Order: sequence, then structure tokens, then C-alpha cells
Amino acid sequence: MNDLFGLSMTYIMIGLLIVLAVALSTVVWVAVRNRVMFFIGVRNIPRRRAQTILIIIGLMLSTLIISTAFSIGDTVNYSITSQVYDHLHSIDEVVQVKTGDNNGNHDHGSVEAPAPIPETQAAALAQKFRSVSGVDGVLPFVHSTLPMSNPRASLTEPLNVLVGLDATAMKGFESDIESVDGKRLSIGDLAPDEIYVDKSLSEKLDIVAGDKVQVFTKDQPHNLTVKAIVKDRRLTGNAGQISRGFVMELKSAQQLLGRSGEVDKIAVSNSGGVYDGLNDSKTVTAALNNVIGTAKFQATETKQDAVDNANTISSVLTTFFVVLGLFAIASGMMLIFLIFVMLAAERRVEMGMMRAVGTKRLHLTEMFLAEGMTYNVLAAAVGCGLGIVVSLGMVQIMAALFSGFGLSIQFHVTARSLIVSYSLGVVLTFLTVTFSSWRISNLNIVAAVRDMAESTPRQVRPSVDGFGSLVSYAIWLLFKPTSWRTWWTSMLVWIGGIFLLAVSSVFYIAGISVYGGSSAGGVAAVVLFIAGALVSISAIVIAFTGFFRIFQLGGLSLLLGAPLLLVGFATSQAFPAGAGLSLEIAGLALLGIQVGVPNRLAATTAGIGLLIAWLLLAGGQLFPNLNGGIEMFFLSGVTMILASTFVLVYNADLMLGLVTRFVGGAFSSLVPSIRTAVAYPLANKFRTGMTIAMISLVMFALVMMSTMNSNFNHIFLGDEPLGGYQIVVTENPNNHIGDIKQALIDKGGDSAAAATTLTEVDEVRLANNLVAEVRNQLPANPTTDDKKFQKYTVVGPSIGFTEHNGVKLDARATGYGSDADVWKTLETDPNAAIIDTNALDSGGGFDGGSGFTLRGVKQGDPTFAPAHIQVRDATAPDKIRDVTIIGIIGTKASALYGGLYLSPATFDTVYARPESSLYAVKLAPETNAVNTAKAIERVLSSRGVQADSLRKIIDDFQRTSQGFSYLIQGFMGIGLFVGIAAVGVVAFRTVVERRQQIGMLRAIGYTRNAVAISFLMESSFVAALGILSGIGLGLLLAYQLLSSDDLAKQGIRGFYVPWLEIGAIGGFAFLASLLMTIIPSRQASSIPIADALRYE
Amino acid sequence: MDEVQAGPPSRNGRDLIINARDIVKTYRTDDLEVKALRGVTLQVPRGQMVAIMGPSGCGKTTLLNCLSGLDTINGGVILIEGEDINKLSDNKRTEFRATQMGFVFQFYNLLPVLNAIENVELPLLVSGTKAKEARVKATASLETVHLAEWATHKPSQLSGGQRQRVTIARALVNSPAIVWGDEPTGDLDTANADEIMALIIDLNRKHNQTFVIVTHAPEVAAKCHRIVFMKDGEIVREEVPQQVRAS
Repeated sequence: MNDLFGLSMTYIMIGLLIVLAVALSTVVWVAVRNRVMFFIGVRNIPRRRAQTILIIIGLMLSTLIISTAFSIGDTVNYSITSQVYDHLHSIDEVVQVKTGDNNGNHDHGSVEAPAPIPETQAAALAQKFRSVSGVDGVLPFVHSTLPMSNPRASLTEPLNVLVGLDATAMKGFESDIESVDGKRLSIGDLAPDEIYVDKSLSEKLDIVAGDKVQVFTKDQPHNLTVKAIVKDRRLTGNAGQISRGFVMELKSAQQLLGRSGEVDKIAVSNSGGVYDGLNDSKTVTAALNNVIGTAKFQATETKQDAVDNANTISSVLTTFFVVLGLFAIASGMMLIFLIFVMLAAERRVEMGMMRAVGTKRLHLTEMFLAEGMTYNVLAAAVGCGLGIVVSLGMVQIMAALFSGFGLSIQFHVTARSLIVSYSLGVVLTFLTVTFSSWRISNLNIVAAVRDMAESTPRQVRPSVDGFGSLVSYAIWLLFKPTSWRTWWTSMLVWIGGIFLLAVSSVFYIAGISVYGGSSAGGVAAVVLFIAGALVSISAIVIAFTGFFRIFQLGGLSLLLGAPLLLVGFATSQAFPAGAGLSLEIAGLALLGIQVGVPNRLAATTAGIGLLIAWLLLAGGQLFPNLNGGIEMFFLSGVTMILASTFVLVYNADLMLGLVTRFVGGAFSSLVPSIRTAVAYPLANKFRTGMTIAMISLVMFALVMMSTMNSNFNHIFLGDEPLGGYQIVVTENPNNHIGDIKQALIDKGGDSAAAATTLTEVDEVRLANNLVAEVRNQLPANPTTDDKKFQKYTVVGPSIGFTEHNGVKLDARATGYGSDADVWKTLETDPNAAIIDTNALDSGGGFDGGSGFTLRGVKQGDPTFAPAHIQVRDATAPDKIRDVTIIGIIGTKASALYGGLYLSPATFDTVYARPESSLYAVKLAPETNAVNTAKAIERVLSSRGVQADSLRKIIDDFQRTSQGFSYLIQGFMGIGLFVGIAAVGVVAFRTVVERRQQIGMLRAIGYTRNAVAISFLMESSFVAALGILSGIGLGLLLAYQLLSSDDLAKQGIRGFYVPWLEIGAIGGFAFLASLLMTIIPSRQASSIPIADALRYE
Repeated sequence: MDEVQAGPPSRNGRDLIINARDIVKTYRTDDLEVKALRGVTLQVPRGQMVAIMGPSGCGKTTLLNCLSGLDTINGGVILIEGEDINKLSDNKRTEFRATQMGFVFQFYNLLPVLNAIENVELPLLVSGTKAKEARVKATASLETVHLAEWATHKPSQLSGGQRQRVTIARALVNSPAIVWGDEPTGDLDTANADEIMALIIDLNRKHNQTFVIVTHAPEVAAKCHRIVFMKDGEIVREEVPQQVRAS
């Protein structure tokens, strides 16, 4: 993986290493400057081993998530690129017939060609190409798919790729034909009836060298002899989509396919090896196109495109994993903060004493920093290592999931990714630890020494008596009563903040301008970006410090929220608008507290207000015109979790009063345990709130993910997606069947009997994907983009299909009363067309990018004015045909019946050379579709047909998608360990903290079990609140999203809750939390009473 | 060591509520053995207030912990109300403490997360009293220590003297036969200490409850019926305070 968020990974690594060096230097500086503080900090580590282990686990989780995401990116990148290099081998560029406006990437895995190239013309071009500098080989070739059987093993395979190579043009491609043991073989050595079979096909058909095999063209068998088994390469037939094949001499292949004098493509090899040849690809491609001139051919950087594609996929996948891991990373950072706050609480008296004897605040910060960084350096290393272990497991699952797509996944991780993961983990923890240490060092010495609560001075509200006092009251609402000196100081602080912001802007602008210019520029840019980010953070902190000195917190929130809201509306972006709205609500609550509203009322009202606001925002009922991407998932999650946590911690006593009453009524012996179990977490709102938030944040993400996936999968349940058919039979282009039923009857015996179960067989023809193009009808003043045609699947249904299909439409053009009317019109009106729902603009999301979007029809419109579009065959770009869309195929059916459906006559006119035919088959009631499909495939195997049950296709797709979704959930679920670790950290800390109280409880009659149960209940209570809150919010948000107009229009009806999955996730989290508490509970219950009560 | 007979307001002078003989308690650390109690024998009649005094580290608190069943012993016998508490299982001993004993310690040891009345009713709930009944008794107990109006206040909202009174209310709510006090006035100023001792004496008179109080303060000890002096893990002498003798 080479890029993340558009930045080079190498530059990111260098930038992070610099920041890491700064972080580590800080600790070294502390060690050198103040050895005592450094050693006091470090010596705290072995004091409580179990706690130390737990802290390291807590600290490593963020690094683990990052490292897993990067390792998966590396693996995918390596797997795809190595496959690209291995299969394309010497092929660097491919020349084929030009396809209209879209001369984009050549799909190296495709066995299609836009149009054949006359062999003489190919030879002439090849001759010219050979003189291009940097080219060391030019090879015209033909390819097609054929069925093959091995009579010796009685095995048949319907789809195999035949490649025909010109033996006289193999220079530069000699190494592409190699036996499995690495010996180079020559095409020239092959007799006309001899072939080399690639390893994949040989394994499939149990072929060995010397075997006589049969291939079928036009239903006629041809006997061929296998001369050798060769490595899987593009030139031996391994095309990616169909990953098995065989190779023979060009003339023999042309003769076999009945395509004498034609080739499909011309492969070009660059000077240098398989890898080095790529360096000149751009130059060579340009030179080739220059040679081609105005001829209707096009050279493309095939290998470079494939490698770039691999990079893009891995980069997208890594970004996807990192973004989904943000919940866990955020939880991890909260855990780090909680751990350090609790460590500080544990050592409060010591710290008070240290301050009393002359230790400065900075010294305490240094002490914690030393300790924290020692944990950090260890934890990040462990996190990196475990990340690799986790990704190894995930890669195994991915390999199994994607094995059907011809992609072989091999685990791979680069040192660069490990360095980035480690550095990022250490840096994130360093920032959190530094902030926590600073926060901790701000203690009141007397309160700390006496272990009393920190007292916060209550603000005196100005009295209101008369107009003048109203003004001072209003001023007090916004500003803290403070001196002019503070004002001046704050002003200076702001100026400093603004100056730093300007500096950071300069850094960013400089970074952008030098990035990409050169390697040094890239490194400099990333360093500038990081410096800019740090300066920006400092500027914000400095500005806030100034603000806090003079503004009341409520007023400040209101003040900051307003511009964010405005920016959101001005740019139609949901992120700033949502953040601004949240600040406004929080500000109102803080203002309420300031004027005397009880904390509970203010926190509850603000919490509920925020929840409602975000739910309405998600459902599109509030600010429906704002746009947002995946970042909104994170922002909404964090805000809603914080809001609900406030509501919970401020109101849990009410709920728990009821619980205590009910449980206490049934089990009176548990009442004392329940009372203490509930009272402690409620009394420590910060600790409880943090733990609840950590658990519920991850639960929220998991429940959302699981619910959304389940609901999308539910779209495909039932018969509607099948469109009235049960089986699809794909014809081999070289073996046209025409009438499948008759073909089965002709075979006689069981086949004839099977034919009787086929009640309807309707042919559907497909245009060649490389040449089928569409665009909207041009407006009066068309732009270049308007004029551009886009690739789209174009379908030519038979009359039978238009008459018999049960494909439901989501929308019909005005004037059509039923779906049947629309299909009937398609049959009779050559200008009519029907298109699937994927062509529609859903009003946001990921569409509207490079694909075709039908203008004038929106998702969810039940009727629309007929929409006019144009279609063409890209090999005849000037032959444009106008058609009118009169129906939109429903979402459910679009998965199987996607494409633009033309009337049979129009299809024949536009696409004279359809690539292939499909047959949609209806079966008699009670017929087993899977068995019948297998029977058809078996009987017609020699004609290369592929038959599949439509339900099975959907089920297989769903299984893969579900599997991937589980994989993602598993990855996100790592975050649950953060919450679980938090429960453990709190429980361990609690035992230490309440030692004397435990002693007293035991003294007054609590049995060991009662103490242990009280601890277990306390953790269960916190874990349960977190889990239930996460589940509740996840379901609520999912419901809002799924019932929103955008998704409802896409065919989501109703709301399905995957209770089993949610129950399993929640149950696991709950049990794991309990397990985490067992050790501290046992410790608590076994404390000797006299020891516990002793004062030291 | 002379057995002191004077002072105890027991009915027959022979109704021993605490009968401890030859108690030995040894603490062992890695390679160090500390004999905290070296064969202590102590008998306390019902209703007597006994003060245990002595220098720091002489074994006062250890003796109190052992007598009350908070700690185990290495030798000797402790009979409380005729029950050999060291032969009881941990659960039985805990139950015995919950029903027969009350505790007042120097630093109150109230649960900071519960309010005064919830702290007081905890021993009742532990010993199986119904919640409603526990609330009634706890209120009555708080009234006894003149804190009924502070019932819903948390310990952090109470003064030191008030906290100690809540502790006393908690110690007495189960009407225990014995109340153990470990420096009950140690964290209080003189006025509050006097007030607390007056309360203890009053409760002792009214309810005939036995009090065993470990203290450093001679003025506290002087208000008891009997003072036991310890040194190096042994009882070295006993005294009947002047004012008790005078009365």
C-alpha cells in the first residue's frame, strides 16, 4: 500500500518518525534534566504487576487496530500486485481497437475484445511498434473461451480460455511460457493439434502431459494433445475472471475458432524484466499511440494500470479499516486518559506530599510522562505484534471469502507499515499521556494530602433588581467576573493563537505546494503538514486558554457553535452544522447550570436534546439538504454516545432504585450488595461515564454495522429479485445453442426428462461490455462531460423474455398503467428502453461518480416523464441511436437484471456482434433449481454452458458479503476489549481505593461472598449500561437511516433487527467484562479485615 | 496481673461477655517474625467499659481485632458470649459480628457514596432485616445520636464529630452486646471528643452495652470503668480510674 488519505506512506513514515523522535526526546530530556522525577515515574511500573499488564493492554489497543488495518492493506496490495506481475509477466502494454470516448484502463482479466483486428493490420502495427524505443517484444494474439473435457479422467470444464500465439513473434515473451518446473517452452514446438495447458486447468481436469483432450466449437469436438503443463500466465489463458486456460499456435487457434486472419489484441513488452519494464510504461505507451496515429487503435498501460488499481484497492481498504477502527481508536484514547486519571487518583496523597515538599507541577507532569511513555513504548510494540497476529487471522478468512474471485490472498506486511503503526500508536498515546499528565498535575495540595475532594468555588450569581442589574446579569452570563489584567492577558494569548494559526496555514500551503514535486518535496511536505497540525493544535489550545479565562463555558460553547452552524449551512456540509448544533445545545445546558438549573435537569435535557437532534439529522427530518459522508457515522456516534452517557449517569439512580426494589424484593440477601454496587459507580460519574462511553461507542458501531447489513441483505429475500425465473444458463459464444430445451431433448434419456421441467426458456443477449455505451440526450449547450459516453451493460431481450418475465419495475413513465404495459411497449416500440435502478441518482452517497446517471429521474419517483438517452457501439462511434426510458427496474431485481434493455429490433441494429447470450429459465413447480442447473450444465458441458440457480447466485453473493461484514465487525469488535479492559482497570483500582471500606464492610457483617458479589454487580451494572446504551443507540440510528427517504427509495422496507447477532455481541461483551472483574472481586473479598482497617 | 473486680455495672460481676485466655498473635513477613500478642488474658463482664492503653506498637489494636474476630489468633481461646469465635467458619464469624458487635473507628470508615441513614442501616440489611424495618431502626439510631435531621447527608457534608456520631449510630443500630472502639476520638477536637465520650457513656448506662475502647487519650480512658495497660504485646497492669472509684 503506497498511499493513505492521498499522502505517500513513505512520507507519512518519515513525518511520523520525526514526531516520534520529538516525543522520545521529550522523555530523554526529562530523564537528563530531572532524574529523580524520571525514576519515581518509572519505578511505579513494577508496583502492581497485574495493573501494569492491564495498562499495557489498554495502551496497545489503538496500535493494534492501526497495525491490523495497515497489515490488511499491505496484504491486499501485495496479493493483487504479485498476481498482476506474475500473470501479466512480460506484458506491459496492450493495443486493442479504440472504444469511443472511453479509452480508459484495459481490463487485463477480460477475455473480451472490443472488435477483432485484421491480422495483416496487426502485423503492420507490430512491425512499427518494434522500432519504438524501449519495446523489446510485440505479440499479436487471439483469445476466446471454450469448453474442454479430459476423457481419461471423465472430467469436463465449460469455461476455459484459449490463447493463440504467433510463434514467430515470441521475442520478448519467451519467459511467459514456462513449464511448472521453470523450463522455458516454445510455441514453435507445438504441432497444430498440440497445446500447453496451464496449471489451474490441469488441476481442474486432472490433465497430465500426453493426455488427449477435447475442446468444442460450434458443438463439434476437436482432439488436442497436451504437450506440457505450464505456469499460470495471462498468455497461457489465466485471465483473472476465468483463471484457467491453454495455449496453442496462432494459426491453429484461428482455425479452431473459425477466425482466420483475425487477432484480438497486441501485447507489448518493454525492455527490462517483469518489474523494471514498468518504469518506461508511460513513455512507451505514448510512443505507441503516436505510432498508431489516427488509426482506430489504442495502446494502454495495462500493467501499470493493474498495479495502480491494486494500490487504489488496498488504499481504499486500509482507509476503510482505519475509519471503521476510529471508534476503537477513540475508545482506546479514552482508556489511556482514564488509566492515567486513575493512576493519579491512586497516588494523589503521594503527589500532594511531593507538592508540599517543593515539587513543581511540571515535575509531576514529567513524572507521569516518564511512566506513561515507558508503558507506551512497550505497549505500542506489543500492539504492533498483536496487530500482525490479528491480521493474519483476518487474512485467512479473507482468503477463504475471496477464493471464488480468482484472487489468491497471501499475507504480507511491510516494515514501513509497521514503523507507521508503531510511531502512530506511540505518538497518539504520547499526546494523550501528555494531556492527562498536565491535567493530573493541577491538584490542590491540601485536598490531595488529606485525600479530600477538590473543592470548586461556587460562582455567585448577580442579583437582579432593576434594569442596570439585568445588564450586569447578561454580561455575567457570557463573561467571567474577572480583572482587566486578565482581559489584557487573554487578548495577548488570542493574538498568539492567531499568529500560530497563521504560521500553521503557511506550513499547510507550503506543504501543498512542494508535495509531489520530488521525493525531498514529499518528505518536506509531510513534515510541514505534521508541524502545521501540531502548531494548529497549539493555537487552538492557546486560543481556548484565553477564551476560558474570560468567557463562561456555556457562553463560549454558544459563541463557537454559531459560526460552525453558519459554515455548515453555507457549504451544505453536515459535519460543521452537526458539530455547531451540538455545541449550541451543550452551551444552553451549561448556561442553565450557571443560572441555577440543577445539574441533573440540565445534563438530562441537553443529552436528550442532542440525541433527538442527531437522530433527526440522520433521518433527514432536520436540515435535509446537508451532505455528509462516512465521517458523519463517526461524529454522530461519538456525539450520541456522549449525550446518552450524560443522561445515564445523571439518572441511573432513578432506574436503579426500581431495580433495587424489584431485585431486593425477590432476593433480600442481595440488597446490601446491590446498594453498594450501585452507589459507587453513581458517585463517581467521570469514571463510570468514561467506561460506559467506551463500551457503548464500540457496541454502537457494531450494532449499526450489523443492523444495516442485515437490512440490506433482507432486500434480496423472497422471490422478487428472481424476476420470475429460477435458472440462468450462460452460453459459450463459440457454441451457440439457440434452443436449450430442444438441446436437452436431443440428448435423450434423463436429459429429455429434465427438459420437461423447463416450462419457459427466454433468451437475453448481452452487448460486448467494452463497446456498449450510453449517455443522456444532449442539452441545448452541451459541455464536454455531457458529450461523453459511459460504459453500461446493454441487454437485448427476446420477445419471450419481454412477455414472460416477472421483473418488477420501481417506476414507470407517465402514461403506463402497469409493468406489463411497459414490457409490452419495449417489445413493439423500437425507441423504448428500460433501465435498472443503479442508473438513478439516489440523492447522495457514492454514485454520480464515473458511472452513467440517468438525468430526470430520481430514486423513489413512482412515475416520471419519459427520459431520452443515446446508445452506441463504441467501435462505431458515429452511429448513435436515441431511445426513451419508459421504466425503471426495481432495486431487488436490479442485482440480477441490471442493464439497459433495448427493444429486440433496436439491439440488433446497434449491436451487430453481441458478445454472449443468457437464457432465463422457468421451472415447473416443486422442481429443484440447483439440481436442474447442475443437470443442464452436465448434459451440455461439451457446449460450454454454465447453468446456475438464481437463488443460489444471490445466496452465494450474500454469503460472501455477510462473511466480509462479519470480518469487518470482528475487526471493529477489537475495540470491545478497550471497554472490557476499562472495566478491569476500574475494578482493580477500586479494590485498592476501597481497601479500608471493604474492611469496614467485612467488620459490620458483609461476608466474603457479599463483597465479591458487590464488586461483580458494580462492573455488571456499568458494563450493562454501556452495552444497552450502545445497542439502543445503534438500533435507533439504524432505524432512522433505514426509514429515511434516501434508503426507503432504494427498496428498504420495514426494519429488521438481527437480535441473534446483537445478543451474541452484547453477551460476549458482558461476560468478558464480568470475567475481567472476577480477579479483583476475589482480591477484594479476600483482603484480611484487620489489614484493611489498618492506617499506614 | 491483677484481675480488677471494681466498677463494672454487671448484675453479678461474673457474667463475662469477653473471656480471652493466653492469646498469642504472631505476624510473619519474609524472614521476620513479630509477636504482637504474647499470651494475653482478658475478661470483661457485660456492661463494662474497658479502655486499653499503651504506647504505639504495644498490640492494642491487634488485641481489639483479635477479640472482635476481625483477625485470627495463633494461640489461646477467645469466648464472646460463651462462643469460641476462632472455631467459627468465616461466614459464621461474620454473621456473629453482624448481630453481636458494633465498631467505631478513628477515621469513621463510613461509605462516602451512601448518605448517613443508608450507612447506618447497612448492618441491619446485612443481617437480613427487611428494608422498611431497617429504615425505622436506623432513623431511631440516628435520633439517639441527635443526627436525625442530617439523615440524608453524605459523609462529606458532615463535620468530623457528626461523622463519628453516624459511626456510633451504625455501631448501635443492631443493639449489639459489645461495641469496639479503636481511637474513637482520635480524629476529633476536644469538644467533639468530650461530646462523643458523653454519648458513649450515656449509651452504656442506658443499654448496658459493653464497650472496649483502644485509646491514647488519658481523658477518654478516665471515663471508662477500667483501664488495661499494655506493653510489648502483654497486659502489664490495670487500673480503675479515680472518678469510677469515687462513684
